[in-house]
Order: sequence, then C-alpha cells, then structure tokens
Amino acid sequence: MSASPENLVAIFVMALAAMAAKGGGFLAMRWLGRHRFILAVLDHAPGAVLVSAAVVPIVNAGGAFVAGAIVAAVVTRTFGGFTPGLFAAVGAVALARWAGLP
Amino acid sequence: MSLSARVTWRSFQAGALRMIFPGLASLPFGIGFGFAAAQKGLSAFETTLMSLTVMAGTSQMVALDIWVQPLPLVALAVSVFVANLRYFVMGAALQPYIPSLPWWLQPPVWYATVDQNWALNIAEYRRGHGDLGKFLGGGFVMGLIWPGACLLGHLAAGGVLSDPTAARRLGLDFVGVAVFVVVAAILFRGKRDLAPWAIAIVVALAAKWAIGGNWYIVIGGLAGGLYGAARDMNHKKKRDVGQS
Repeated sequence: MSASPENLVAIFVMALAAMAAKGGGFLAMRWLGRHRFILAVLDHAPGAVLVSAAVVPIVNAGGAFVAGAIVAAVVTRTFGGFTPGLFAAVGAVALARWAGLP
Repeated sequence: MSLSARVTWRSFQAGALRMIFPGLASLPFGIGFGFAAAQKGLSAFETTLMSLTVMAGTSQMVALDIWVQPLPLVALAVSVFVANLRYFVMGAALQPYIPSLPWWLQPPVWYATVDQNWALNIAEYRRGHGDLGKFLGGGFVMGLIWPGACLLGHLAAGGVLSDPTAARRLGLDFVGVAVFVVVAAILFRGKRDLAPWAIAIVVALAAKWAIGGNWYIVIGGLAGGLYGAARDMNHKKKRDVGQS
C-alpha cells in the first residue's frame, strides 16, 4: 500500500469538488424551491435528464443499442417494473450483436 | 425528523439488493479506469481511495487526463466540479422530496447521488413511495462496486479483465444506458411529456455535437425542464384568465 502525500492532497481536493457539485443542487433548492416556476422545471427535469443521458450513447452506438432501447421501453410499459425491462434490454442487445448489428 | 428522512434497515437492504445488477454496469468502466490509473502511475491504494471518495467515473477519467506532476490542484477541482454538474441538476430534482434532512444525513445523501441510484429512486419518489433507506442502500452498494471494479482494473492492468469485448458480447455495456431508458419508460406520463422530452433529446444531441464531453446531460435536461415549465405556466395563466 503506497501513497504520495501530493497525490493524497489531489484526491482530497477532487473529492471535495465532487461533493460540492452533488450537494450544490440540494442546497440551492432550499432557497429556490419555493418558486413555482422552479418547481415546474423540476417536475419535468428528471425525465428530460434521463432521455438526454440515454439518447447520445444510443445514437453513437447505433444498431444494437437502438434495439435494446426499444425493447426496454416496450417491455417496461407492457409488464411494468424495473427488472423485466432491464433484463430484456440487455438480452436484446446481446441478441442484436449475435445477429451482426454493431 | 420527517417521515421522508426516516431510514430503516429493511429499506436500506432492499435498496442495496436491487442496485447490485445496475451497479455491475459500472464494472467495465471501473476496470478501464483502474487500468488507466495504473498507466498514470497511481498506486492501487490511491486508485481505490480516489474511486471511493470521488465516486464519479467520468470526472475521474477527466482528472487522469491532467494528472501530471506537479499536480494542478485548481484545474483538478474545476474539471471534477464541471464534469459532475449533472449531479447538481439531479440533486435539485431530488431535494423537494426530502426537504427536512438532518444535517448529518446530508453528506451521505449527496454521496449516494450517482446516476443509476438517482434514476431508480427519483422514479419512486415521483410515484409517491420514495424511501431514503433505499436511496442510501443503493449508494452503499455503488460505493462498494465502483472502487472494487477500479481496484480490479488496477491489479489486472494489461490482463484479461481489461478486455472489454466479453462485456460487449453479452450486452453488459448497455446496462448503464438501459437503466435510464427503463426509468424514463416508468416515468412517462403520456402526451404532456412528449414535447419536453423531444426538446431535451434534440438539444442534448446538438450539445454533444457542438460542445462534446458530457455537458449534453445538463443542457438537454435543463432545456426540456425549462420548456415544460414555461408551457405549463402558460397553460395555467390561460386557464386563470378564462375562469376570471
């Protein structure tokens, strides 16, 4: 187990920066949370963040990821719940790759 | 302490258990990071400590890019903060559901705010049965899997574990994205979500194309949220005018 003091200081600084970014949203909402417009933004933000996070890797990877996303959405809406959708999505991607999709 | 801030062992366990499979999605990335950290000269202890305390893979990768002696501390802090800005938006979205957290529970909640754990839990909070114990349990599992994967990658640098093709063949490289798609499908409320989500998708793709990096999550998320809010406020104003 080895560690240089300089590296440890850098890791500590990085940890503080990460916590500042994570905690900042929680703290900011204590002051901003009473505004109706902010509440309306946050009503839509989770879904918007999720589709934004998903769409770029899906478009970049193409073929198999597109198939996986469609299967994930259909299975989740049809059967409900998290687990069936997740397993079906991963299975669909594996099948699509086996069938030759990128 | 309000009901929303109550944590039971049972809910902690449930949250931890259900995060194991989504958490495994971070294995290939963690192994890749451990491998890259070894190449940069970080020890196994430093790699594991960084992953345990920062617990944000993309920002750790960004930091490795500028990891040269003497270490640029300000640049490291700024790049880690900026690379993690999506967590700012995620935290802001979660806060209204857990408004009265005692001060000692706040840092663990911030720490547990990672992509898959946030996605699963925000869906439950939105449907009215969110549970802080599940959120912290999920964060605990992520806090074990991520540093463990990074350590594995460091120890196996150059070995078979650093070969991502096996995970790719099994479709495991899709698990992280699949969590977002599945949770979005659960959250989907029909017609009222269509336009904000379409705006988010278009803006996220444009941001990725124009700026690069992972800004697209923050920019797309804010664009969709702002559009949805502006539209709802406008509808409400029209309704109010119609009634008066």
